[in-house]
Order: sequence, then structure tokens, then C-alpha cells
Amino acid sequence: MEVKDFSEEINNKIERIKNRVLSGEISLLDIELVPIFEDLKDSLTIYNISKYSRTYKIAFHLLSQKFEELKIFLSYLDNQEKFLQFLKGNPRDIEIYHIFEDCWREPLIIDTLSFKFLEYSKDRLVDEKKEPLKIEFINKINLKENFLLEIPERKFTDKMMAFFNNIKDKLPCSYEEIFENELDQIKIFENFVYLLHLLQLGKIKYQKETNFLYL
Amino acid sequence: MNEITILMHLLSKKTNNSQIGATKEEILKTLNVKGKNKSIYFLDMIKNLSNYLEPLGLQVRFNPLNSYWYISFDPETTEMISANPFEGNPRLAATLYCTMICCFNSTGETTIQKIKEIRKKKGVLEDIKELEKKGFVNLAKSMNQVRLTPLIGYVLDLEKLFLKIALKIKN
Repeated sequence: MEVKDFSEEINNKIERIKNRVLSGEISLLDIELVPIFEDLKDSLTIYNISKYSRTYKIAFHLLSQKFEELKIFLSYLDNQEKFLQFLKGNPRDIEIYHIFEDCWREPLIIDTLSFKFLEYSKDRLVDEKKEPLKIEFINKINLKENFLLEIPERKFTDKMMAFFNNIKDKLPCSYEEIFENELDQIKIFENFVYLLHLLQLGKIKYQKETNFLYL
Repeated sequence: MNEITILMHLLSKKTNNSQIGATKEEILKTLNVKGKNKSIYFLDMIKNLSNYLEPLGLQVRFNPLNSYWYISFDPETTEMISANPFEGNPRLAATLYCTMICCFNSTGETTIQKIKEIRKKKGVLEDIKELEKKGFVNLAKSMNQVRLTPLIGYVLDLEKLFLKIALKIKN
């Protein structure tokens, strides 16, 4: 049996209608929705029912919106009578002008905002948060050979966090202040490596202009 | 940068002459809001933004003609900055009034002929062209079909207008 699937086509058709309505080009009341439901009904089979149920939901949503518009339109009909009734009294132009008074609104338009900056900031905000970088500890394997570099007894992350806990109360402070009490060059180098990792993980931040480290 | 900054940008941007702000769908998409509670979240955001803006003399509003959310100055501030687009031109205001009657009567579109019938004045076509320049209507190339743009929903408080007319008739 031939499997017909027009769900994508119907979805696109609905999307086009929505866009035209949102742009103010047409009203939903101008659109005939029956053909969409007929297309759905005519091409529905047990093979495409899964996709079609989603399409049906979208089409039904559009139909609900059309009912809403119809309700608004019907409520306007009464107002329409009032509009006409007022006009039947042959008001002068100035009288109509005064009717509009106090009814005007001024929309707030900010064109001067830097769109590039906002786009950039928006992208940063909506980007899914990435998992923080994890440093996996390498397991020590017993080998006969001797190597120059030995794996330390404590995990790197533990040592780094111990360093972080040690300095966090000092922050914010200058870069030099972090190492000022340490005389051992090897220890300074080790701490410097931890600092680099902490900066990369974002646990500590650095301001280049003032040479300050802060949380 | 937070949700309010983005909402301010979305609701105060002008896409074209008759399109200001953003739809609910656009706002939710931009803020990456998903899930079954997104409508509740959306209304919460709008409510919170409205509370923030109130002391600044601004209001969050909804244009029923195109379902766009936007920001406008509150009535007091509007009065101060004089937002009347027909200042000193009652003739144009009267033609717009007649155009609105005709368009509301036929789901948004009408003909020059119908407007002329109720306006009962000469120069209707010139007025319509002027209204088109101001962004209130679209005039078809055939110079016959006229359609209201969503702009009227942004700059005019339709509910207040209906109320004023109802009171006028009653008196």
C-alpha cells in the first residue's frame, strides 16, 4: 500500500497562513480552513497517523484562533452600530476630531539600542549552559619501568580546590598578592597552574586593566 | 543582560511602519522558553515587566489587530508629549473615522466608493493617500481597495473610543 504523508506540506501551509496573519496582510476570517481538514482526512492512514496527529493539533489551534477572531469581530459589530449612529447625526469634522482626543497612545520605540550588542547578549543568554569542564584523574598503574613524571598522590582537582579555598577570602586582590607569601618557586609554579585552570573554569575572573582577580 | 532587557528590546522595536513589538510566539522563541507552562511563564514576565515600567510612565499593551505585544506611554505622559497624529487636521481624522467604520464592517477591507458614501465629502481619495503615508491604511494599486493596517491598534485606544462614542450618543 502506498504511504502518503502530506503532513509536512500541510504544516508549511499553516505556517504561511500564520505569517500572513501576523504581518497584518490578511485576517484569519478571510481564510477557509475546511480544505486543510479535508486534506488531513483524505490522506490519513494507519502509517502516517503519528505525524498527522501533530499536524491536526496545529490545524486545530488555528481553528481555535479563528473562533477567537470571530468572537472579537462579533463584539465589534455592536460597536460598529454605535459608530454609524454617531455619524448619522452628521457631525462636523471637528466633532469627530474631538472624539479621537484622549484616545491616542504613543508607542515606545527604541531604534537607537545597539542591535548587535543585544543580539550578542541574547545569544549568550539563550545558549544552553555548557557542563563545566571536568578534569579526570588518571589512575596509577604499577609498571616496572621508572618514569620521570610521577602521578601525584592527590587528585589534581582536589589540590586545585584546596588552593581555591585558600585564596578565595583574599579576593578581590591583585595578581601579585596571591603569590606574595610564597617563596618556593616550584610551589609558585604549581599554584600558577591551578590559577590558570580556575580562570578557565570561570571560578575566578581576571580584569586585565586593573590586574585584579575576583570571584 | 536578562529577560527584561530582551523583552524591552523585542517590545520596543519597529519592524515597519505598522508593526511594533513582538508576538507571544516570537518572545517565547527568543527567550528559549519551552514546555507546557510556557504561557504561564509568559504572562508572569509580561506582568513583571509591566510593574517595572509603571513608575517610568510606560505600559505593556496588546494590539488586538495583529496580536503583537508592545510598550506605550501611559495616558498622562501621552497627553504631555501630544501624540495626536492629526493635530490641526480634523478633516483627516474624520476620513479615518469613516474608513474605520467601513473596514470594521467588512473584516478589515473596504472600497473608496463605500468610504465616499458615508463621508459625503470631496477629496476622499487624497485623504486616503495621506492616511497611507502616515501608515494607517494600505491602498491597492487599483486605487479602489483600502485596508486598515495594524497601526491603528497601536496608536488608538479603541475601547476608550467606543466608550466616548456611546456616551456621546447617550447625551
